[in-house]
Amino acid sequence: MAINVNTVYQTVLLILNKEQRGYMTPLEFNKIGTQTQLEIFETYFESLNQQIRIPQTNVDYADRVLNLDEKISIFKTTGTPTYTAPSFSLPSESGLAQSSETITTIAGTVGYDFQIITANELASGTVQVFFDGVLQTAAAYGITGTTITLTVAPTAGPPINPASVFVIVTLDDFYRLGTVLYTLGALAPQELERVTRSELYHINSSKLTRPSTIYPVYLYENKRLLVYPTSIISGITVDYIRKPLDPSWNFTLGSNNQYVYSPNTSINFELHDAEQTELILKILLYAGVVIKSPEIIQVAAQQVAQENQNQQR
Amino acid sequence: MATPNGGLINETNAQYYAGTQQFIIAATAVNQTFTSTFDTLLSVGTGNYSDPGTNGFNLNNFKVNTSTDGSTWAELTPASTDFDAVGTPLSAGGLATVNIAANANILGGSIFVLVNKLTGFVYGTITTINGANTLLTLDKVLPAAGITNNTALSVRRIQPWTMVGNIITVSQSLTINTYLQIEMRDATVDDIHGSYEYTRLNDVIDNFLIAYVGAGKLIPSVKRTDVIFHARRGLQEFSYDTLKSTRSQELQIPSSLSLIIPQDYVNYVKLSWVDGMGVLHPIYPTNNLNQSPYETLAQDQLGHPIQDSNAINTEVSSTMDAAWNATDPRLISGGFQNNLDNANVLNRGYMDGALGQRYGLDPVTSQKNGWFKIDERKGTFNFTSNLSGRIILLEYISDGNAYDLDSRIPKLAEEALYAHMVHAILSVSSNVQEYVVRRFKQERSAKLRNAKIRLSNIKLDQIVQVMRGKSKWLKF
Repeated sequence: MAINVNTVYQTVLLILNKEQRGYMTPLEFNKIGTQTQLEIFETYFESLNQQIRIPQTNVDYADRVLNLDEKISIFKTTGTPTYTAPSFSLPSESGLAQSSETITTIAGTVGYDFQIITANELASGTVQVFFDGVLQTAAAYGITGTTITLTVAPTAGPPINPASVFVIVTLDDFYRLGTVLYTLGALAPQELERVTRSELYHINSSKLTRPSTIYPVYLYENKRLLVYPTSIISGITVDYIRKPLDPSWNFTLGSNNQYVYSPNTSINFELHDAEQTELILKILLYAGVVIKSPEIIQVAAQQVAQENQNQQR
Repeated sequence: MATPNGGLINETNAQYYAGTQQFIIAATAVNQTFTSTFDTLLSVGTGNYSDPGTNGFNLNNFKVNTSTDGSTWAELTPASTDFDAVGTPLSAGGLATVNIAANANILGGSIFVLVNKLTGFVYGTITTINGANTLLTLDKVLPAAGITNNTALSVRRIQPWTMVGNIITVSQSLTINTYLQIEMRDATVDDIHGSYEYTRLNDVIDNFLIAYVGAGKLIPSVKRTDVIFHARRGLQEFSYDTLKSTRSQELQIPSSLSLIIPQDYVNYVKLSWVDGMGVLHPIYPTNNLNQSPYETLAQDQLGHPIQDSNAINTEVSSTMDAAWNATDPRLISGGFQNNLDNANVLNRGYMDGALGQRYGLDPVTSQKNGWFKIDERKGTFNFTSNLSGRIILLEYISDGNAYDLDSRIPKLAEEALYAHMVHAILSVSSNVQEYVVRRFKQERSAKLRNAKIRLSNIKLDQIVQVMRGKSKWLKF
C-alpha cells in the first residue's frame, strides 16, 4: 500500500503544464515530495490527539481514530534495543533498505564510485557491504563521499575475487518511541512505564511503587533508555514509529535525453492511499511557489483547507 | 473433569492437585526446553541451584524429575547424570591430569566434574580431554595419593538444568519417548491449593488499566505507578478490617515470657493458649493492669535523668516489668488453686464447684487464662508467668503487601478494590467534578460494605444452630 510516485509526478506535471504554466524537474519533485510527505505524516499525531478527545462512532470506516490509526499503522514497527551499560540504545533502523547498489569489481582496482547511492543516504544511514554475498566488517573497506575503497584489491580470476560488491544502506528511521516491553523467558511481556528523572527518585523511594521486574519503568534521555530495576539488561523490545522513506522519482535518460521513469530504482510515497489527493494538492502548493504561479498556490491552498475542514468537522 | 479451555483456570488437574506438569520427550536431543504453565512462577536460588548440595537449591520452589516410563520418577540432579569411567593406568598425585580408559562420552569445557564412584570425592572439573579420549585435564591437581589403577570413576554433569523465565533447559541428551516432570515443592503446592479464591494484585492492576482508564472514560489517562500505589494502599486498608486473611503462628512461651512480634505483624486479632485437648483459651491484654515502659531512665537523687559520656540518657532495667513477671496472675483473678488444664467439662473434682467463690468479683480480671502485653520498645509480646511453657496461638493481621504471595485479594472483594481505586484516583485528579467524586465515594462505600458482608461468611444453617439455644431453660 503506497502511493505510486510516478502517478503523483505525472498528475502534478499535468496540472502544472496545463496552459503552459511551467515545469517541475524530477529533482525538484523529489525534494518537494519528501517535504510534503513529512508534513502530512507529522499531522497524523496531532490529529489523533484531537480526535481521541471527540466521541467517535463505531460504524465501519467512519471512526476517525481508527482511520488515522490505519494511516499511522504503515509506519509502526518493532525493534530490539542494544544494552550498553547502563542503558539501552534505541533501535535506529527498522531494516528498510533506503538504497542499494551492486558493483562489479575489476581485478587490482580498489576504488569505485557509487552510481545510485547518494552521499546523503550514506551519511544518514547504516551501510552494509557484502563481498560475493558475505557481510564484511568495516576493516574490509572504507567509504568517503560517494566512493568505496576496498582494503584489499580484488584478485584476478576467473573468477575475480571478490567478483561483486553489494552495498546496502538502511535508513536510520527511528521517529517516535511507542511502547517499551520487557520479556523474560515464557513470562508474559510487561510494559515499561516512562517516567521522568524527578519522578524516578520518588518512585524508587516508595516501597509501594518501587520498580520491579513485574512493573519496570524507564527513563528516556538522549536517545537512550535507562531501565529500572537495573537488573534488567536484556529482553527489552520497543514499538516505535519509523520515518517514511524519502520518495524518489528516478529516471534514465532516453534517446532524446528525455527523462524516462525508472520504476525499479524509484521509491514510492509510503503514505496511505487515501492521502493521494492531499499529497498532490500540497505538492502543487509548493510547485506554485517554485514556478511563481499565484493561481496554483491559491487553488491548491483552498482545496487543502477544504479537505482539512471536512476531516475535522 | 474439565480441562483448561479458555476459562480462568489455566492449570490442569495434575498441576493443581499433585503440583506436577509432565512432558513427553518428542525427540532425542540436547538442550531441550520445557515451559512451565503453572500459575505460580518458577523460582530458583543463586549459584548452581540444580545441585542439592548448594544453598541455592533449597530456595527453588520446584524440582525437575525424569522417568523412562512416566510412573517412576528420579530427580534430575548432578549425581543422577553420572556415567562411569575407569582410571587406568594410575595417575600421579600433584598433577592435574588423569589417565582413563578411552571414553568418547566425556567432554571438557567446565561442563563435567570427575568423581570417585566409591567415595564420592570430587577430583575437579574436567577442562579438556585429549584426542584419544584417554587423558583428562582437570582444573586442579590430584591429591598426593593420586588415582590408583582401575579406580572406578564417575563423570558428572555440573548443572543438569537451568531455568529462566519459566523455561527449563536440560543440557543433557534426553531420549525420545521418555518423560520429564516439573514438580512443585510441598510448600508451593500448599500455596497453589485454594488460590482460585483470590485474584492477584497484578491482575487487578492490569484489569483496572484496561477497563477504567482510556480515552472516553472518566479516567482518560493515569500513570501506572499511581494505579499500583492506590491498589496497594487499598489492599492495606482492606486487610485491616475487611479481608478475612488473618495470619497465625503456633508458638511456645519461653521462660523469658516474651515473644518477638512477627515480621509482617500489623495488629493482633487474638492470642490464645492451647490446652491438652487442643482447645483454645483466650489470653487477654493487660490493659490497665500493667504496661511496659518505653523508656526506663536512670535517675539521680533529684529525679533527673542521668546521661552517659555521649550525652545520651542512660537506662536501667524496668522494675515494673520485673514485678509483673514475678506476679502470680491467680492473685489478681482470684482463680482456683486448682488450675484447669483443659476444656474437658467432666474433669472436675468434687469440691471444685465451691472453690473460688467470693464477693466483689471484678469481671475484667476474673479469668484464669493469663494476660499479655506488648512491649513497643522491644517489639515483643510479654506474657504472665502462668503461661510459661504453654503453647499459644497468635492470630494477627498483616497489610497484604509483606510478601509477593500476599499481594492478592479475595474475589469477593475484588469489585470493592476497583471502586476504591477509581475513587482514590478521581479524588486527586484535577478537573473532575465534585459530584463525580462523591458518586464514586458512595460506590466505594457500598461495595466495601458488600464485600464485608460476603467475607463475614454468614451461613444460615450456622445461625440456626446458634439460635437453637435461644429457648433453652436456664436453671439457677
